[in-house]
Amino acid sequence: MFKKKALSVFIMFVLAVLVLAGCASSDDSDTSSGDSNSDSGSDEATVKFMHLWPEGSSAQHHKVVNEIIADFEAENEGVTIDLEVLSNEQYKDKIKVLSTSNELPDVGMTWAAGYMEPYVDGNMYAPLDDVINKDDFVAGTTEAFAIDDTTYGLPLELNISSIYYNKAIFDEYGLEEPETIEELNEIVATLNENGVNPIALGNKDAWTGSMWYMYFANRLGGDQDVLTEAISREISFEDPALVQAAEEVQKLVDADSFVSGFNGLADEEAKSMFMGEQAAMYLIASWDLPNYTTNEDVPQEFRDSVGYFPFPKVDGKGNMNNFVGGPGVGLFVAEDSDVKEEAKAFAAYLTEQWGERAVTDVGIIPATKVDTDSVDLHPMYTDVLNDLNAAENITLYADVQMSAEDAQVHLDMIQALFGGEVTPEEFAKAHEEALSQE
Amino acid sequence: MRRIGYILLYVALAIVAVFQIFPIIWLFMFSLKTNQEIFAGNPFALPTDPKWENYAKVFEGGIGTYFWNSIWITVVATVITILIASMATFAITRMKWKFSGLVLGIIMVGLMIPIHSALIPLYNMFLNVNLIDNPLSIVITYTTYNLPITVMILLGFYTTIPREIEEAAIIDGSSIHRLFFRIILPISAPIMSTTVIINMIYNWNEFVFVNTFISSDKFKTLTVGIQNFIGQYMTDWGAIGATLVISVLPIILAFLFFSDKIMEGITASAVKG
Amino acid sequence: MGLNVMNKVMSNKWIIFLYTFPALLLIAVLIVIPLILSGYFGLMDWDGIGAMEFIGLENYIVALQDTKFWESALHSFLLAIFSALSLLIYLAVALILASKIKGANFLRKIYLIPMLLSSVAIAQLWVKIYNPSNGMLNSILMGLGIDNPPAWLADPNIVLYAIFIPIIWQYAGFYILIYYAALKNIPESLVEAAKIDGATPLQIALKIKVPLIMNVFKVTIVLSIVGSLKYFDLIYVMTGGGPNGASEVMASYMYKLAFASYDFGYGSAIGFLLLIITLIVTVIIRKLTASKDEIQY
Repeated sequence: MFKKKALSVFIMFVLAVLVLAGCASSDDSDTSSGDSNSDSGSDEATVKFMHLWPEGSSAQHHKVVNEIIADFEAENEGVTIDLEVLSNEQYKDKIKVLSTSNELPDVGMTWAAGYMEPYVDGNMYAPLDDVINKDDFVAGTTEAFAIDDTTYGLPLELNISSIYYNKAIFDEYGLEEPETIEELNEIVATLNENGVNPIALGNKDAWTGSMWYMYFANRLGGDQDVLTEAISREISFEDPALVQAAEEVQKLVDADSFVSGFNGLADEEAKSMFMGEQAAMYLIASWDLPNYTTNEDVPQEFRDSVGYFPFPKVDGKGNMNNFVGGPGVGLFVAEDSDVKEEAKAFAAYLTEQWGERAVTDVGIIPATKVDTDSVDLHPMYTDVLNDLNAAENITLYADVQMSAEDAQVHLDMIQALFGGEVTPEEFAKAHEEALSQE
Repeated sequence: MRRIGYILLYVALAIVAVFQIFPIIWLFMFSLKTNQEIFAGNPFALPTDPKWENYAKVFEGGIGTYFWNSIWITVVATVITILIASMATFAITRMKWKFSGLVLGIIMVGLMIPIHSALIPLYNMFLNVNLIDNPLSIVITYTTYNLPITVMILLGFYTTIPREIEEAAIIDGSSIHRLFFRIILPISAPIMSTTVIINMIYNWNEFVFVNTFISSDKFKTLTVGIQNFIGQYMTDWGAIGATLVISVLPIILAFLFFSDKIMEGITASAVKG
Repeated sequence: MGLNVMNKVMSNKWIIFLYTFPALLLIAVLIVIPLILSGYFGLMDWDGIGAMEFIGLENYIVALQDTKFWESALHSFLLAIFSALSLLIYLAVALILASKIKGANFLRKIYLIPMLLSSVAIAQLWVKIYNPSNGMLNSILMGLGIDNPPAWLADPNIVLYAIFIPIIWQYAGFYILIYYAALKNIPESLVEAAKIDGATPLQIALKIKVPLIMNVFKVTIVLSIVGSLKYFDLIYVMTGGGPNGASEVMASYMYKLAFASYDFGYGSAIGFLLLIITLIVTVIIRKLTASKDEIQY
């Protein structure tokens, strides 16, 4: 008994020491693409690809990507795609860690503008101008992935935000789609009188509240994109329109327009209130369309009762063909990739194929142009695609536009503004200070 | 009077017990609901139409490999941690040397490191020794990061071991290894069971290190099964609930087993003492 | 003569080395080195990507004047105080469970179940409890006739305390387990002797059992305070430190800086300060709780 124990102890001990003493033996373990190929011209290549559409939550995304990968591998003999899938948050954290050691995957997903800036500055992303045909994309999408006129990302999706509403609730109280903020206020008052939550908002994630603020700024600025100009430092953030937008937000909050405790609710909880018919309206981007159209897990009755309207005019100002939105994820190719040519070819192929299949097979709107006539779509998709075609300007989500550091200030300030902890002037001033620091 | 006191005590204990058992029942109901019921429905409510397919989804996702990895990584890391920690604690508390305080100090510093401070340096180190995407990196990290707390828990116990036990053994001519393995380890069985439980829970539920150091599916652990249901814009919470239920079962069984070991150890040492 | 042999055996340098080396090596390589590195990164202006630039103590000086950092430190300290105080409750529960009442064994198992759940599950549970309109807590409060129950996680004055409760609850099992094992380790003979002398159960608990596990109790004070000062999990999942920093703690602030704001140098500096603060607090506690004569059987 004793000997046996002592022996196992000893083995464990030796094992631990061995492992630590240098791990000399693990040289030839299969560590993916890094050592697979140093000469990109040769026949065999493994392209490491990371994405954030796990099979469990995004079955269609996952399936379509896998099919595209299989097609690509069939067309390009000798090229293997080595796939790793993570969930959103874990993906971002892992990319962050990988980049500190310059170990990015050959192809991966990136967000636009502010998010990608540090990677571009650090020469992590390869320029993709040689594989992109800008005419294939909706105007503004590739620009969001470009820095100093060089494109570093191939956009995969495009979203615009609108106010989705429950027609059944609206009908019950004789309400109609509002065209001005005053009409929206009246709707809110009527719903409150009848004990119905007017608007679902989960502002724990702050980008949700940011969309409200951005639309006010968008409408009050009229044809001038004040928010974008303030972020790009053409004008001050203390511009009257941007301050007034903050005032309007607080007016809306003071009128009990949002569900109670919204600053502590996740977007998901708010969404469920809307989908559970506990709230009448919900401002969200078009990525949510499947929930209101094709998603079989959602009761047909509810899906049939959802409509949407563009954000109303404020003070009689605003161009209804202006939207708040932007491309979501895009593909990057690592600058240091050993198989850069194959990686670029794969990224371009994936983007193109994805564009052809995204709306019909997955239900998301790609950044590439979609011919609405040739495909059979749910009417709500057609409406949104038509909105996009008519769009004169899309203000890119503020937290995407700003540098990561400023975005954090913005999101904190949004929570403070909605929570009534700061005045509109303080809100604008905090932004101005953060933005002017660079 | 006494009797009323006991009744009150039992009532209080029962209320707390209900409160403590509730999470497991809640989790089980959660695993049978749709997102809609989970978020907008009454959390007390039974699922209207139990969604057993949540469990089917989990198994379709293929959690077999993850399950096995979780088990062996947890077991190996726990065994090594407790062994190394017991040896160190023994040397620190029972042996006479100048630097025992210093060594204990260094180990205690290990308690204080925030995981996210360590993540990037650790990744870089493992990369340099070619241990990225190798389960050894996970085993070593779990072992090391549990050492401080394990030593601390053992410490309180080791200081209370009567000197006479050691003296008797040494005077009988027993070697120090024999003293440690034959006498000290067995009488510390109850506290070891406690540390086993704590180590197990930590290793079983850990995901930051696995997600960072491992990229191949064949080495990932159960916590990854949860990641599978978190999407870019949509999360399948019912399926996450099912994964959580499936993954908590082995740990409950192991807990019940080791929990009884705490009692057995006492009896054994009482006989010897 | 016996003592001489004893001393000789128990101070064998080679054995001491053999027994402590594995632990020390692992901790030195995997904990101490990363710690030093994080202190070093704290001297850099670095977004985590590309080249870093040495800026001396600037990050640390900025941190010392950063009100957000000090607020988060205050929150961490509050958590530490509450966690340490709650140890008394756990000790009381453990004393009851370890006494010879009927069903103690069964109750103990039930009491410890929540600690088996991962933070993901616990966070989801408490988010449901606290939900302002559909949550369990507010359903009960409204049932009791309270019309406007608070929005627990949205109100900046309440959120911090609201989130302390699940954190403290999450660790209840951990401490009860440790106390229980320690209490069960007390020789039965001591308790029996006291009983024969006519001591009441309360007297036995306070005068015999508690002093005997004092060493363990001191260790748990350190564990709970250190654990609280670097606490991260539920805060991150349940509130993300919000609204507007009202529930931010040091570790979540550090994470935000390093991973969300891409200010890796500054984040590392905060992480290093967190360590220094924890170290100082630990030394103070050890000094305060040090007793001159160790309790012996």
